Amino acid sequence: MKSIFTLIILLFTTTIFSQNSLSGTIVDEKGNPVTGANVFIEGTYDGTSSTENGEFNFTTTTSGKQILVVSFLIFETLKTVIDVTDFKNKTIKLRENVTSLDAVVVTAGTLEAGDKSRVSVLKPLDIVTTAGSAGNIIAALQTLPGTQSVGEDGRLFVRGGEANETQTFVDGIRVAQPYGASTQNLPTRGRFSPFLFSGISFSTGGYSAEYGEALSSVLILNTQDEPDQNKTDIALMTVGLGIGNTQKWNKSSLSVNANYINLAPYQAVIPQNVDWNSPFQSLSGESVYRYNFNTGILKFYAAFDSSKFDINQENFNSLAKTRVNLNNTNFYMNTSYKGNFGNNWQLTSGLSYGNSQNKIGIDLNDVKNTENAAHLKLKLKKSFSERLKLSFGADYFATQFDENYNEYLGTTNTSGYNSNIAAVYTEMDIFFSKKLAVKAGFRASNNDLLKENTLSPRISLAYKIVKNSQFSLAYGDFTQTPNVDYIKYSKFHQFESEKASHYILNFQYNKEGKTFRAEAYYKDYSNLVKYDTQIAQYNSVYNNNGLGYAKGLDLFWRDGKSIKNLEYWISYSYIDTKRDYKNFPTQATPNFVANNNLSVVTKYWISDWKSQIGFTNSYSSGRPYNNPNEVTFMNGKTKSYSNLSFNWAYLLTTQKILYFSVSNILGTQNVFGYDYAKNPDETGYYNRKEITPTADRFFFVGFFWTISQNKKDNQLKNL
Amino acid sequence: MAKIIITIALFISSFLSAQGQYEQGMGKAFGLWKEGKNAEASDLFERIASAEKLNWLPNYYVALVNTTTAFGTKDKEKINLLLTKAQNALDVEMAKYQNNAELYVMQAMINTAWIVYDPMTNGMKLSPKNMELYAKAEAIAPENPRVVFSKAEFQINGAKWTGIDTKPLCAQIEKAIGLFATFKPESAFSPKWGLDRATEALKNCK
Repeated sequence: MKSIFTLIILLFTTTIFSQNSLSGTIVDEKGNPVTGANVFIEGTYDGTSSTENGEFNFTTTTSGKQILVVSFLIFETLKTVIDVTDFKNKTIKLRENVTSLDAVVVTAGTLEAGDKSRVSVLKPLDIVTTAGSAGNIIAALQTLPGTQSVGEDGRLFVRGGEANETQTFVDGIRVAQPYGASTQNLPTRGRFSPFLFSGISFSTGGYSAEYGEALSSVLILNTQDEPDQNKTDIALMTVGLGIGNTQKWNKSSLSVNANYINLAPYQAVIPQNVDWNSPFQSLSGESVYRYNFNTGILKFYAAFDSSKFDINQENFNSLAKTRVNLNNTNFYMNTSYKGNFGNNWQLTSGLSYGNSQNKIGIDLNDVKNTENAAHLKLKLKKSFSERLKLSFGADYFATQFDENYNEYLGTTNTSGYNSNIAAVYTEMDIFFSKKLAVKAGFRASNNDLLKENTLSPRISLAYKIVKNSQFSLAYGDFTQTPNVDYIKYSKFHQFESEKASHYILNFQYNKEGKTFRAEAYYKDYSNLVKYDTQIAQYNSVYNNNGLGYAKGLDLFWRDGKSIKNLEYWISYSYIDTKRDYKNFPTQATPNFVANNNLSVVTKYWISDWKSQIGFTNSYSSGRPYNNPNEVTFMNGKTKSYSNLSFNWAYLLTTQKILYFSVSNILGTQNVFGYDYAKNPDETGYYNRKEITPTADRFFFVGFFWTISQNKKDNQLKNL
Repeated sequence: MAKIIITIALFISSFLSAQGQYEQGMGKAFGLWKEGKNAEASDLFERIASAEKLNWLPNYYVALVNTTTAFGTKDKEKINLLLTKAQNALDVEMAKYQNNAELYVMQAMINTAWIVYDPMTNGMKLSPKNMELYAKAEAIAPENPRVVFSKAEFQINGAKWTGIDTKPLCAQIEKAIGLFATFKPESAFSPKWGLDRATEALKNCK
């Protein structure tokens, strides 16, 4: 009896759990067999790993329609619905995973600094450990190819473009006033302290349709999503004090920092080339609050900065020096949200508001100006697959600028403008294979002040020739509202947008710790603003007939591998550019352009001394200047510029760092250009004055202390 | 009557076979892993995970197998793929269980592999994160020997750069070894690794 039961049960189980066998071959896109792929029926134990010939063979107790999963490291996981009763000797083709490390990346124009990027040329730490940068993001970027080092200005000049042709974005939202206030021939620096940012993307051309209102370049700074821990940072420096604190909670975190800079004690000790009445002083603070939702992150960033100085500048047009007294206050805030929803949708949105007020006394005359700028942004991105992504979005920029110029005992001149720009864009990312990727899109915008609509196409593609090496190509049209110096006279003249087209060919080689990058470009400028007076003023006659070009080659080599403990990079840029703009009588190379720029940056870690020592050498060939005593326009050329900087960071303990840096060790007498008198003297000769750095050398000594529970952390990254 | 018996028997047999399937599958996967067939072991754990959606162990082992494989791999590209695979598997379970100390230890292990992969870039970023993970794990299971050992080991490895005193850390390893002796795994397949590594680490202490 018992045996009958057993027999019946056995019979039943085999009938109910009747088995279907499945078989086939797994191949890659070229038809080569794939060994070791995991093939199975979803939700069951039934499956196997493919053999050396890519073959598989297994049985399943399931029946009917089931999901077959095939997964293998370097390929996209494949899920297909199959009928298990009829799945024999099938060939399954796997597609390469385009997100894998060795897949092609569209890189034309872009220099990345960050940990997420696969094609980083800079590491996050570099911003602050580069000799000569002194914690200034902008100064560190000036060691990259494609930039001009313009010592008397301090801002970013990219590939023959003026400084205002670079637009800065924090978490995707525009920063209308990215630099501290300054006056003629006094260099400024970036407003942002580097340690709140985890990624920097600096594009020297051909950038995405997501970014507009920039003729030459975009600088994209991303704040950290998550700070590492609770801590307090204290900095004591020869130029001021700084304090910072980070608090971290379960889902949110807050970082604040405040800095007070006063150059008076420093300038009392170190001889200055300029005559200060009251040296530069500033009080600034930043804060970032982050809140993590399950599927997104909300960030709130705010920065406040108030600075002033009072200086006597030599002036050829009068006997006495000109006294410039500047007071600037700047407030910037930015809220952004980034999150995922639905079926592979990503939403990025945000708004920013910036307010900048300047009070400038020039001898007895007064200039007061106020700028209010806002940016609203919405972007949606849909990933149809790893291979096809579509993004589209809209931007709204509103800017209001007012300026009053009060002449002593004279009239008050007011100027200003109100501008509203609405733009939409769309862009598609397509991976045809692991070797070929294309990004194409366009941007359409409407500017109510200029009464114009523009349409700007952008396209870039990348092709991987062999492992570690790839080519990229990019083309794009870019437009930008003219500089505030002109547009504030909009009441008197109807301006048009300035335009540029970029053509870029890029080659990149990347191998563990080594990067080589070469980029050739051609830039075509049109519609540039021209005027007919010595300086731009309300009654100048303006037109948009200016034009120009820039072409050149940028080279970059970085190696952190060949010599132990040594990390170095070399940037070289060659540029040939001419413009007919402003009040130029003919096409000429502007005075901020040096044809050859070379930077060599080295960092060496000495364990025995617990020290990092770095040298940065910058060299630029001579820059043109216009000598009114000569017939030919812009015929002069300064001598070449060179600056060797040194820094030394010494770890007293893991949480206390002593830092020392000095610029221009060799004491090279650099000349940036010449200021010529507006009118000739009695003999008919125009006198001139050299434009030089404010001091021959800059010394900096600082003590940095981090207080946190985790004794490992220090401010090395803040230096 | 016969029908009822058959039905019951069928029910039991199918139940037993499902139960047996898990045990058999896990056993086989561990066997493959022991033989050094890491990829196949990972594949099998992955298949078990697909069937046992309410059990965190199979995905935990997918993460563990791939991470330990990554430690023994030189090819950077391969390391990246292995760690990505480990991370994806762990993410599935992390989303379901926020109170599992073993998962936090696993996450810290993946992070450590990334630090070894590129210390310059990842060290600064992930070291504090690991300390945070160990703190979380400690809060949940202060007597888990893997938590105590992994935390101490991580700090000892970092001591080369930070210069902190390793003596108290070595004492922690000794404590962990004591805990291994009394630790009772929840089930036959629950994590119980670590004793040999701890003993090895203690030798380096002296």
